[in-house]
Amino acid sequence: MIIHSSDQVSRARFLKRFPVPKNFGVPAESRIVQGRTWPAPEGARRVKVFKIYRYDPERGTNPRIDTFHVDLDDCGPMVLDALIWIKNKVDSTLTFRRSCREGVCGSCAMNMDGTNWLACTRFISDLDAPAVIYPLANMRIIKDLVPDLTHVFAQYEMIEPWLHVKTPDPEKERLQSAEERKQLDGYYECILCFCCTSGCPSHWWNGNRFLGPATLLQAWRWLTDSRDEGSEERLDRLEDPFRLYRCHTILNCTRTCPKGLNPGKAIAEEKKAILERRS
Amino acid sequence: MNRPRMRSPFGSAIWLGSAKTGVEHWWAERVSAVALVPLTIWFLAAIIFHTRSDHAGFVAWLREFPTTILIILLLIALFHHAALGLQVIVEDYVHSDLKFAVIVGVRLTCFAAAVAGILAALQIALAS
Amino acid sequence: MTHIRPRSPNIQSYRPQLTSVLSIANRITGVVLSLGGVGLVVWLVAAALGPEPFSVVQGFFASWPGQIVLFGFTFAFFLHLCGGIRHLVWDTVHGFELASIYASGWAVVAASIVLTAATWIASIFMGA
Ligand code: SF4
Ligand code: SF4
Ligand code: FES
Repeated sequence: MIIHSSDQVSRARFLKRFPVPKNFGVPAESRIVQGRTWPAPEGARRVKVFKIYRYDPERGTNPRIDTFHVDLDDCGPMVLDALIWIKNKVDSTLTFRRSCREGVCGSCAMNMDGTNWLACTRFISDLDAPAVIYPLANMRIIKDLVPDLTHVFAQYEMIEPWLHVKTPDPEKERLQSAEERKQLDGYYECILCFCCTSGCPSHWWNGNRFLGPATLLQAWRWLTDSRDEGSEERLDRLEDPFRLYRCHTILNCTRTCPKGLNPGKAIAEEKKAILERRS
Repeated sequence: MNRPRMRSPFGSAIWLGSAKTGVEHWWAERVSAVALVPLTIWFLAAIIFHTRSDHAGFVAWLREFPTTILIILLLIALFHHAALGLQVIVEDYVHSDLKFAVIVGVRLTCFAAAVAGILAALQIALAS
Repeated sequence: MTHIRPRSPNIQSYRPQLTSVLSIANRITGVVLSLGGVGLVVWLVAAALGPEPFSVVQGFFASWPGQIVLFGFTFAFFLHLCGGIRHLVWDTVHGFELASIYASGWAVVAASIVLTAATWIASIFMGA
């Protein structure tokens, strides 16, 4: 099946997960145990089962998978609605981030049925039965579905995501032609949800040194900005066997970006620019 | 509490700094890949053509001048490409100091295999 | 609090997609073909040593396990070749739309199967 945009949920799938042991390479504190099953709502006629990753730092126990029954007739259409329904009606300790509930803030990024997306823009009806909800993959977890994004934001900070200028400020603003402005399309829209970075196998194995697709897409956003004068340092900062070249064009990033952006392409542009400056 | 080290998140992210290099490795992998496309296809076609040959038949083929040249080019491109690719795989998955030992092993093995292959091809070509 | 924060699962739960499956396949076939390169060197050295060592190696390749190994190498070769060409195209910053990524991905799978079959049919034809 040919997927045309990243919001398409493929029904045809020949593997649910990679054939590795469940606890393959998982350190003791991250092992997932069986959680509790919450009772189904009484009198509900359309019920969907949700299996949700839970972790409570105060209990000092391992993460677990809890099972919830959601009454679809009493709940909105989106996965975020189901989470809010559970929090209101079943277990008020269920913790997750959300703010805009319309796909512009990037808070509610999580892993649903094995792929990363925003909970507020994924239809419940698109999920398997039972629906399986994990936090963003490969992140340290603060609580339940809330990942610790400190490191990925530190990586973002590293590329100095602001305009670098060397020439004195002009009298008015720095101008940009319509054509030049167009170069930013597909890059400036990034909401820093980190769906892509969390879905990138290269970032799983070498996330301490590889910058990851979100940060690299942002890096291109500044490199391609006609007003920016810091491209020399920007490219120097990127040219590194790990920071940039750990990207092996797997393209899980492009497959998963909930804004339909293309980090894989941004990275290819960077590799090309670095090649260009030496041959 | 949850951060056993006191180094700041930014400091950890920036840690070794940029090597300011890395494009050569990537580029050499592409160049050797481009070379391998015709060389491997030629080799496969030739081998199919010689499905029924015996030792004498193969040696006669290997002694032809173009064959010798192409075989040697194939060996160089193949083991160069293999060494570069395998090094990346090792860097991806091996995170202890063993990494350097494995990389040295991979590189030396590829070099030795290429030299052995080239000498064998020359021996066949030049034996009287 | 002394508990270390758990890490959420990655490969244990992330869904295999055409993108990641073909990437890991390119990697595995790369390793397989590196071993194939060593096989090529062994074959060349045997040919250089004379008819007897050569017939031992040829005998292995003609046996059932040998044929299975050769078949595996053929498929690995075409998958790596087609996947590699796909990568070279990407390196020129082309073909990054999701529809193209999927189309080229399935094309690689189909082409590898067809070319492997064609190679073996040709080889059986030559051997007959
Ligand atoms: S590129 Fe897409 S997936 Fe990645 S952080 Fe930006 S919006 Fe999220
Ligand atoms: S294309 Fe690069 S950044 Fe994107 S998922 Fe693959 S390795 Fe990661
Ligand atoms: S709540 Fe803002 S993106 Fe989902």
